[in-house]
Amino acid sequence: MRLLVVEDEPDLLAGLVRALRKQGYSVDTAPDGEEGLYKARDTDYDAIVLDVMLPRLDGWELLARLRETKATPVLMLTARDRSADRVRGLDAGADDYLVKPFDTPELLARLRALIRRTAGQTRTTLDIGEVQINTAARTVTSAGRPVTLTAREYVLLEYLALHRGDVVTRTELYEHLFDESETTLSNIIDVHVFNLRRKMGQDFIVTRRGHGYCIE
Amino acid sequence: MNFFHSIRWRQQLWHGLLLALVLAGFGFAAWRLRQRDEMRRIDQELDERVSWVVRAGAALRPLQDRPPPVHPWPPQDGLPPDRPWPGDHPAAGNPPPDMQQLRLPEHEANLFDGGPGGAFYYIAWHPDGREISRSLSAPAGVPHPAWADSPRGSRLRGTHRERFHFPPTGDCILVGRDISHDLADLRRFAWLLGGAGGMVLLLGLAGGWWISTRALRPIGDISAAAARISTGDLTERIRTRDTDSELGQLASVLNATFARLDEAFTRQARFTADAAHELRTPVTVMLTHTQNGLDSPCDNEEHREAFEASQRAGQRMRHLIQSLLALARLDSGEAAALRAPCDLDRLARDTTELLRPLAEEQGVTLEVELMPTRCEGNEEQLGQVVTNLVSNAIFYNRPGGSVRVKVSTEADTAVLSVCDTGQGVSREDLPHIFERFYRADKARASVAGHTGLGLAITKAIVEAHGGSIEVATELGQGSSFTVKLPL
Repeated sequence: MRLLVVEDEPDLLAGLVRALRKQGYSVDTAPDGEEGLYKARDTDYDAIVLDVMLPRLDGWELLARLRETKATPVLMLTARDRSADRVRGLDAGADDYLVKPFDTPELLARLRALIRRTAGQTRTTLDIGEVQINTAARTVTSAGRPVTLTAREYVLLEYLALHRGDVVTRTELYEHLFDESETTLSNIIDVHVFNLRRKMGQDFIVTRRGHGYCIE
Repeated sequence: MNFFHSIRWRQQLWHGLLLALVLAGFGFAAWRLRQRDEMRRIDQELDERVSWVVRAGAALRPLQDRPPPVHPWPPQDGLPPDRPWPGDHPAAGNPPPDMQQLRLPEHEANLFDGGPGGAFYYIAWHPDGREISRSLSAPAGVPHPAWADSPRGSRLRGTHRERFHFPPTGDCILVGRDISHDLADLRRFAWLLGGAGGMVLLLGLAGGWWISTRALRPIGDISAAAARISTGDLTERIRTRDTDSELGQLASVLNATFARLDEAFTRQARFTADAAHELRTPVTVMLTHTQNGLDSPCDNEEHREAFEASQRAGQRMRHLIQSLLALARLDSGEAAALRAPCDLDRLARDTTELLRPLAEEQGVTLEVELMPTRCEGNEEQLGQVVTNLVSNAIFYNRPGGSVRVKVSTEADTAVLSVCDTGQGVSREDLPHIFERFYRADKARASVAGHTGLGLAITKAIVEAHGGSIEVATELGQGSSFTVKLPL
């Protein structure tokens, strides 16, 4: 899952990025509105965390311009909590709204819900045969047995599970699993898929030669 | 308003009193003038007749060859007693044998035959006191006038006005008239004056009432506006039509004062809101980083404690910011908007259910008794009221105690009451519990989530909804908060 955080307060940005990376998200950052808009247009993020008060281009404007071309889910962070402001944010195309100061667990839960909703899921558990993925607790069980996964492996599994039935290309996986700061080996995806197959069973993830991977 | 302390009534009283005095003085003067004129006119008529009678008597004198035409004046004793006196009417009773009839010209004689103003009469006395002659119209028992300093005099005898003359002959001529008609006229005139004066007084009082009503109307406007302002609507101003009058100037001065007050309040509320806003981002930074620190594996117990303490402090600041903003918003009157009908019972049920885990944690049982009740209000704020009251009731309870939440409709008010079995509020604390940052239980002041603003916010919300909040408490027995909201 790849996220963009647009926030001008460096300490807050650093804290958010750390918290999100710890959850296995790949996180890109932008310190102002213009750069935020550029990155949001350039990359297909799974979600954008957007502060309202930004230098150069404020959150409202960024959102309005982004919505001309993309429907990336946006969670807005704001210091204004009047219901009129909330209505304005939601009307402008924000998918959720979080008022500062917030608890990190709440932000994470809202992001999960946002990504789940965008993928057309309403429940926090995904059932694939005997495998059950709990997206809230980030745990996976296979035939009732807990499966231990690394953060990356979990994110890869969750992404494929959320797009169940679709063929997900390696490029797409790269885009969503790694952020701009990471220089990755070209076969890292294959390594993760190999490890997942080892833990979940060989047939769990199908390889479509020349296309990508798929959970059926 | 006290009748005697009302400016209008006092003004009216003095106004009426002055007007009555002026009217009475004026009326009395007019009556006196009229009376004097009447008397003078009557006296003139009488004098005229006196002269005729004197002339008629004098004309006879030479024919009688006695006494000499000119007598020394005043008449002396020793004048011939049998001096004849002419007259055309014999005196009443037995006329003296030598009584003469006075002969007046016909025209003048008619003047003694009565008329519209009552009959004139004359009586003539001989210097020795005998009646020489009298007109037919003369009443009986007219006494001889006493000699005064001058040969002429007048007197009022009952309703008879009489003029008398002592001519040089030494006789005494008296002409009189019954003036009861004139007196009645005067009385009628007095009544007329009284009536007219009364009418004028009434008109004056009505006019005074109208004027004072007009003059005092701006004061009424001012006090009504001030009353609205004192209930919290600082945007209210006194509306004056005339700005140049004294009251208009007063209104302008008051308006300027209200504007400054309003501005000061707005500034204060805005400052609180701005300060709280500015705190949001740093507190978020603190919460995010301490949470990250807590989430990372950490072997150092001291670091862990530091993160935990900072996290708790951050959470408290978060609550404080929210509370301060809520109060600033309520102070600025912004919260009055967004009213809609809402079900108070459903609101109370939902909110209480959310607090049930907290109650269980504290070992307190929650009881609800909810009647369907609809009231007009802001659902979010009313939910806050229920949350604050119920969580206070849970928090300040004893283990094993209970909290009872009741919603009902009484007359035209929606009533929400929250009763607990806690330690109650002491007499010293009771007047202050709705004050900002006041905590009755100072020992428990540092528990997260209790900012000391909860009841202040609750009261502000309830009052913004036009309702009232009351507390009944007994130390050691528990407290009961009752919120009344208009339907």
